[in-house]
Amino acid sequence: MSPLTQWNFLAVTRKLCINLGTMDWSEPRNFREWARRVIALRPLVLTLLILAVVISELRFDWLEQALGSYLVTTNTKRPESGAIWEIGHRTITARQTLEQLVTGRQSSQREARGASTFTQIASNLPPGQGVMLSSEHFRDLYLTLPQAIAHEIVSPIELLRLFSDGGWIRTYLENEDYGFKIYLLNSENRVLRELRIPSDLLLQIKRVEIALEGSLEDLPTFENRIYPADRFFRAMEALPEEDLRSVISQPERLLSVPGHIVRVGISDEAVSGFIELGFEIEEGTRRKVILLRGREWAVWILRSYLEEKGLELNQTTGEGNET
Amino acid sequence: MATIGAVIRLLRTVFYMTLAVASVGVLMCIGMFFLAVRDLPRVPEPLSRIIETPPTEIYAATGERIMVIGGREAIPLSKVSTQFIQAVLATEDHRFWEHHGVDKLRTLKALWVTLFEPGRIEGASTITQQLSKNLFFSFKRSYMRKFRELLVALQIESQYSKREILETYINQIPMGVGAHGIEQASRTFFGKPALELSLAESALLAGLPKSPTRYNPYLHYDRAKERQRVVLSRMLAVGYITRAQADSASRDELNLRPPPSGARTGSYFLDMVVKSLEERYGPEVVYHGGLRVTTTLDPQLQTWAVESLQEGLARLEKMLGVHEQAGHGIGGEVIRPQGALVAIETNSGAVKAMVGGRNYVETEYNRAVQNNRLPGSGFKPFLYYTAFEKLGLNPATVFVDRPVTIPVAGAQDWAPRNFGLKHEGPMTLKRALIRSVNSVAAQLVERTGPKEVIRTARRCGIKSHLEPVYSLALGTSGISPLEMASAFATFANGGVRHKPFWIWRVEDALGRVLEERIIGGERSLDASIVYQVIDLMRGVVDEGTGAVVRRLGFDLPAAGKTGTTDGYYDAWFTGFTPTLSTSVWVGYDQGEGLRDIQGLGITGGRGAAPIWADFMLKATQGEPPREFAIPPHIRFETVDPITGRAATETTLNPMRVALREGQSLYSTIMEDETSYYSETEASQVEP
Repeated sequence: MSPLTQWNFLAVTRKLCINLGTMDWSEPRNFREWARRVIALRPLVLTLLILAVVISELRFDWLEQALGSYLVTTNTKRPESGAIWEIGHRTITARQTLEQLVTGRQSSQREARGASTFTQIASNLPPGQGVMLSSEHFRDLYLTLPQAIAHEIVSPIELLRLFSDGGWIRTYLENEDYGFKIYLLNSENRVLRELRIPSDLLLQIKRVEIALEGSLEDLPTFENRIYPADRFFRAMEALPEEDLRSVISQPERLLSVPGHIVRVGISDEAVSGFIELGFEIEEGTRRKVILLRGREWAVWILRSYLEEKGLELNQTTGEGNET
Repeated sequence: MATIGAVIRLLRTVFYMTLAVASVGVLMCIGMFFLAVRDLPRVPEPLSRIIETPPTEIYAATGERIMVIGGREAIPLSKVSTQFIQAVLATEDHRFWEHHGVDKLRTLKALWVTLFEPGRIEGASTITQQLSKNLFFSFKRSYMRKFRELLVALQIESQYSKREILETYINQIPMGVGAHGIEQASRTFFGKPALELSLAESALLAGLPKSPTRYNPYLHYDRAKERQRVVLSRMLAVGYITRAQADSASRDELNLRPPPSGARTGSYFLDMVVKSLEERYGPEVVYHGGLRVTTTLDPQLQTWAVESLQEGLARLEKMLGVHEQAGHGIGGEVIRPQGALVAIETNSGAVKAMVGGRNYVETEYNRAVQNNRLPGSGFKPFLYYTAFEKLGLNPATVFVDRPVTIPVAGAQDWAPRNFGLKHEGPMTLKRALIRSVNSVAAQLVERTGPKEVIRTARRCGIKSHLEPVYSLALGTSGISPLEMASAFATFANGGVRHKPFWIWRVEDALGRVLEERIIGGERSLDASIVYQVIDLMRGVVDEGTGAVVRRLGFDLPAAGKTGTTDGYYDAWFTGFTPTLSTSVWVGYDQGEGLRDIQGLGITGGRGAAPIWADFMLKATQGEPPREFAIPPHIRFETVDPITGRAATETTLNPMRVALREGQSLYSTIMEDETSYYSETEASQVEP
């Protein structure tokens, strides 16, 4: 309110109070007096004023507009309640739930698409969830596996057959309690072949893929079967060419590791026709072990060479003896 | 003078009283205003946003949209027929463009009528007030609610244009039969967009909001027409139309679409789909999240399934003389037999059709899934498979149909009876199944033990509780038609079990995949033994208790088994071709057997098999005959159905049986059979 308006308002109020003070508030004694008081200027003005207010309201809806405008100003402070808001909230909750579901699924899918090994997929896929891969991607993952493990999952000939049929389009990998369940699917989502990678096999894949920090003595499975590297490779030389790959299926993997191999351990237990070999690698002051798997029969032949000709071979070793 | 004084005093008293009342009224209004304003709901911005929730759409396997859950789509006023808008305005609020949320004159008039005309209550809510009520308030009647509704209406009027208010109103208005908003209503009732509504149609729809149930044109056509005339007269009075137009529209015949709820494709099936979705994603996601669900339903098969079941039940009613029994039910209501049908694709487990009762509108109880009824002899294939597998028997093995009493530890001996109460002596197992001989089944279960039979049923996918008692062999544990169809599909599929399913794929509103079905079967039964059982069941269809199927013209290779329970409470037929497995059940919901007018019981062959045949004839029309795959090492022999020995030229009704590797005819005569012969021969030589 401006000072001028404020002053006017105070002046009018004062005048009205004076007028009210000078008004005759006593009871009219007769009809004439009563009529005189009623048909006076002030009551008439007052009546007209009231009528004007009522008519203007009927005509211009100013009261509704004033209330409506006031309510608009308080709108943001009021609660989101009522039937339609409840539906709205449910819609928001539903969208959020869906978004979470889709995001989780998409993120697993994205990570799986970028994965280059089975263990990468396994580490990113929550239990009970699955991912869809193309048949080509599955083939690439399969090819990263050591031959022995790959054979355990499915034979390459079988995969070749499925590829050449042209029906195998996609692969669904599901992370279950006991490992991976793999479905090779056609375009109608029908399972052409169901494969499994049990947890222990997944563990082996993981062990093969990573280099363990430490020496062969840290792995009890190699106890009493640790040989100097040169003795081991001399024994390998004694094997026929066709058996070499059965002992070390992926020599490239050993070649790609920095450092040099100092000792080799042979596990004392065979699993599913395979025996684990540990290659201890020295890189500066660090030692690490890389695990590979060899065919049981080929490793046995190699061991016989190592055992029988041990003394002869031992004479040329530069480091360590059989423990 | 004294009189004048009294009048003056009276007037004075009235004046002051009025003043006091008015003051109190004003104060109360102010108080109420502040009281009501405290928790008045917030009005959203923009107003139409809150109406747009994405629908969950359910599609058939063929891509046809079969159901929309929730979800509302707002359309602009420009896409609504002008005549409908005029009809709504004329009927609900003809001074809509003039008032500011409240029609004071109409309110005063309504107040007058309500106060001074006993028995009459007149409403005066404007469109804005109705919108306010529909969006934010319950339908509980109270002055405070009314006042708050009025305040929100005033705010809406101040915040939005008249067009926005009208647009929101026509998009959310409940029109009955599940339709909200004019576009949905127009498509539901007339199968056309709201823009194309004629005057007659507009008037009919504009009359619905007053009471969508009372004026539902499907249920009360005359009432709806009467209401339409009221709307037209209001339009005439307001000046939107001429007398001639009103008369013409009033005379126009309304071309209503068939009612949606009862005729909705696969209502029972859809119930099951929605229930599954709710379990997986929660009700909020299903009703408000906007999913796109592709189901396994084949709408054409579904239509045929409904037709076949309804026609079959009508025939059954005739046999039962149901119409003549009017009055024997509760409150004089006729109790009608019910039925269920489930059809499953054998090589995937996809449910292609499902009917859970005679009429979804009458009862939503899904007998195809929720109703575990005794399968009777329909359970015998599991027993025969078990006997072949565990006892090394084959279809040519001979058993003697004779009175059997099996001692039960701690209970009364079990003495099953044959359907015809007669015994036929020795017969091969194939003949025994074809003729559904109970005494032979009892001997088999005695040898295998009920637990082994249960194991076989479980391998076929039956999950219902099965009581490990001998009578299990005669189907005394309840199973649903869905389970039966699915379990028999395992036979049809050569022993590879597929779990039944009804959802192929679920996506969100943006088409991102949430789940998709992978079809992978699991070998659960031996293929050679399964083939032997199929061969037995083919006999049932070709010449046994299910031969009605052939008489009705179904000539494709098929196998199946009838089932009838004691007292004729249940009649079943479950059968399959190499591609489709279908189970049909008929019976009363409670406590009554199926008996025809002559008092003869209705068996599975009489009650259910004709429905199966009718449906399968339609479902497989145009399909070339396809034989069941014969596994390696199966060979066929023709045998005497009585002795099980190789048939000769003189053998009556020789029977072909399937034998597995290593099985021969003469090594399979059971002990009882030899003793039966020796006894018979002895009695013959005796004088």
